[in-house]
Amino acid sequence: MTTLASPDRSIRKGGQAKRHGRGLTGLLLVSAPVMLLGWLIIYPIFNAIGRTLFVKGDAGVRFGFDSYHQFLTDGYSLSNLWLTLWVTAVCAALLMATCLPLALYLRFAKSRVAALVQGLALFPMFVPSVILAYALIRTIGPNGAVDLVLNAVGLPKINSPYLTPWGPIIGLVWDNIPLTTLMLVAGLGGVSDNAVEAARDAGARHFALLRHIILPQIGNAMLVVLSFTVLSIFSAFTLPYVLGPASPEMMGPFMQRTFSQVLDTRMAVTQAVITFIICAGFGAFYVRSIAKNREARR
Amino acid sequence: MAQLSLKNIGKSFDGTDVIRDISLDVEDGELVCLLGPSGSGKSTILRMAGGFETPDRGAILIDGQDVTRIPPEKRPTGMVFQSHALWSHMSVADNIAFGLKLRRMPRREIQEKVAGALELVGLADYGSRRVWQLSGGQQQRVAIARALVLEPKILLLDEPFASLDQHLREHLREELRDIQRRLGITTLFVTHGQDEALALADRIVVLQGGEIEQVASPDQMYRAPETRFVAGFIGSMNFLACDMRGGRSDHAVFQIEASVSDGPVELAIRPEAIVVTPSATSTARVHRTTDYGTHILVDIDLADGTRVKAMCPPATRLATGQPVSLSADRVTVFRGTEKLADVAPVEMREVAHV
Ligand SMILES: Nc1ncnc2c1ncn2[C@@H]1O[C@H](COP(=O)(O)OP(=O)(O)OP(=O)(O)O)[C@@H](O)[C@H]1O
Ligand SMILES: [Mg+2]
Repeated sequence: MTTLASPDRSIRKGGQAKRHGRGLTGLLLVSAPVMLLGWLIIYPIFNAIGRTLFVKGDAGVRFGFDSYHQFLTDGYSLSNLWLTLWVTAVCAALLMATCLPLALYLRFAKSRVAALVQGLALFPMFVPSVILAYALIRTIGPNGAVDLVLNAVGLPKINSPYLTPWGPIIGLVWDNIPLTTLMLVAGLGGVSDNAVEAARDAGARHFALLRHIILPQIGNAMLVVLSFTVLSIFSAFTLPYVLGPASPEMMGPFMQRTFSQVLDTRMAVTQAVITFIICAGFGAFYVRSIAKNREARR
Repeated sequence: MAQLSLKNIGKSFDGTDVIRDISLDVEDGELVCLLGPSGSGKSTILRMAGGFETPDRGAILIDGQDVTRIPPEKRPTGMVFQSHALWSHMSVADNIAFGLKLRRMPRREIQEKVAGALELVGLADYGSRRVWQLSGGQQQRVAIARALVLEPKILLLDEPFASLDQHLREHLREELRDIQRRLGITTLFVTHGQDEALALADRIVVLQGGEIEQVASPDQMYRAPETRFVAGFIGSMNFLACDMRGGRSDHAVFQIEASVSDGPVELAIRPEAIVVTPSATSTARVHRTTDYGTHILVDIDLADGTRVKAMCPPATRLATGQPVSLSADRVTVFRGTEKLADVAPVEMREVAHV
């Protein structure tokens, strides 16, 4: 990440005794949040997993993977899972495609317009998802503002993304632009002006600069951003619920419906556990990227 | 190889003039040092020469060709940054090879050139190291090799040794000087260390507040400063205020004669131009002596309370409080910022007259 490796960056080994003392203080400091985590998150996870694996039948408690089996053999559940994965992947790709140029501009532009662009880029952060969802329906929904304008100039209506997978995609991308951009700008902060100037001096034009100097230096930051956005998009509820298609549907609304309308609690928990496992996979990736990032920074 | 010309360059940032109106020619194979206090615009000039800033006024020419609007990636200049600015995700060899790869040079040739460049800066075995495994001085040398390997017409260096210790700095300075001589590469070097400028430069440009104070060779710059600022900035200098009346100075110790109009002046005298002799009748007294081995620096309090520094031969023995008499074998007379005359008081002869 850093460009300027100065000689005093070498890691010095402190005294062992001192380290142990510090370790104890550290443990005490983290114990409170760890206990909260255990109570509010870890315990419910195991509880949920337990509830999906053990069924109270007539003949006492029975262990079995049948609810997972049911999920994994049910075509509808699977297509919901695929839809969610697909939407997540498309969102992540679109987010990178929009936010990277934006972040590059914000990082390297020196004009006054940059401040304005920054303000605009952060704006979506202050709009709650529900309001955003209804605003999108009013603009790109059937007979929305766009249709009205097109109609006024005598053009055909648009093929509205409302209630198709593109509805939540547009909403989610919009919603995640600020945070993604901010994280990318922070990552780009690690690329020094001089490193870029030295590359230009060596003859690198825009594309070579991006490919050989900037991207390799923010590689880890991009992994962090990617896993973070994937996490938040995968588990999104409001936008898929309001804007998304009814069938197949995304995991968020699917779980909610299974729980409150189908009233199949065990199945809803199973869906949640599967969603959780996938997210945990990305989470592990996220943690690993951050750790790597730290290492590179040293 | 190449010649660099700055013609009436001007640059402002946010409405303040940082560079006012600067013209400078760097001849083929010449090493010119830009010297000046912090904020005098040295880096700005260098960055304009490299294409990282565009001047608001004037033109930059390389070999007679106008490059004012040409971006750095297309300019035949190579820059070494103060902070090295090596790319930490590449090995040392890759850092040096980067520009060559962009030029689509065959791999074999790249390897040869990189090896040659590493050899040149004395880091032959370090090609496969990571950048952060090198010491500061080694990194600096890699940065120099990276700039040199592209064979730029003009080499630009912005305080490349500023972050190094005195020893390493002197060592690298000599190495750079050797390399520059050997390759005959036209070089513009920014520093705020006057010893560095005096040791390296063919010519020194002293800058202040975005304007050139004086352009001269190192010995000229030291011996014949043209302005009050240069006189005080290069080396150490005693300034003694007095009045000129009828061509004579009214200073109690240094009476000189110069055909200068009446009025207040300052006498500028180098410490080594002052000759100190013990004299029981004198009112000037030794305040302190510092033995530097090669010479002894003596602080002397004059009767009017001003303190003068004098450089004496190492054999000199003076005690604190001892009365001494002073004479100077070379005095420059300034009024305001302007130099009026150079005088050698022994002969009481006027040398120059402005
Ligand atoms: N990008 C910039 N924007 C605004 N002002 C600038 C910029 N770059 C330089 N300046 C101003 O221009 C003046 C000269 O700066 P410059 O960096 O050339 O000084 P310098 O002589 O290199 O000083 P130093 O020895 O401290 O490096 C300073 O007053 C600085 O504040
Ligand atoms: Mg500078």
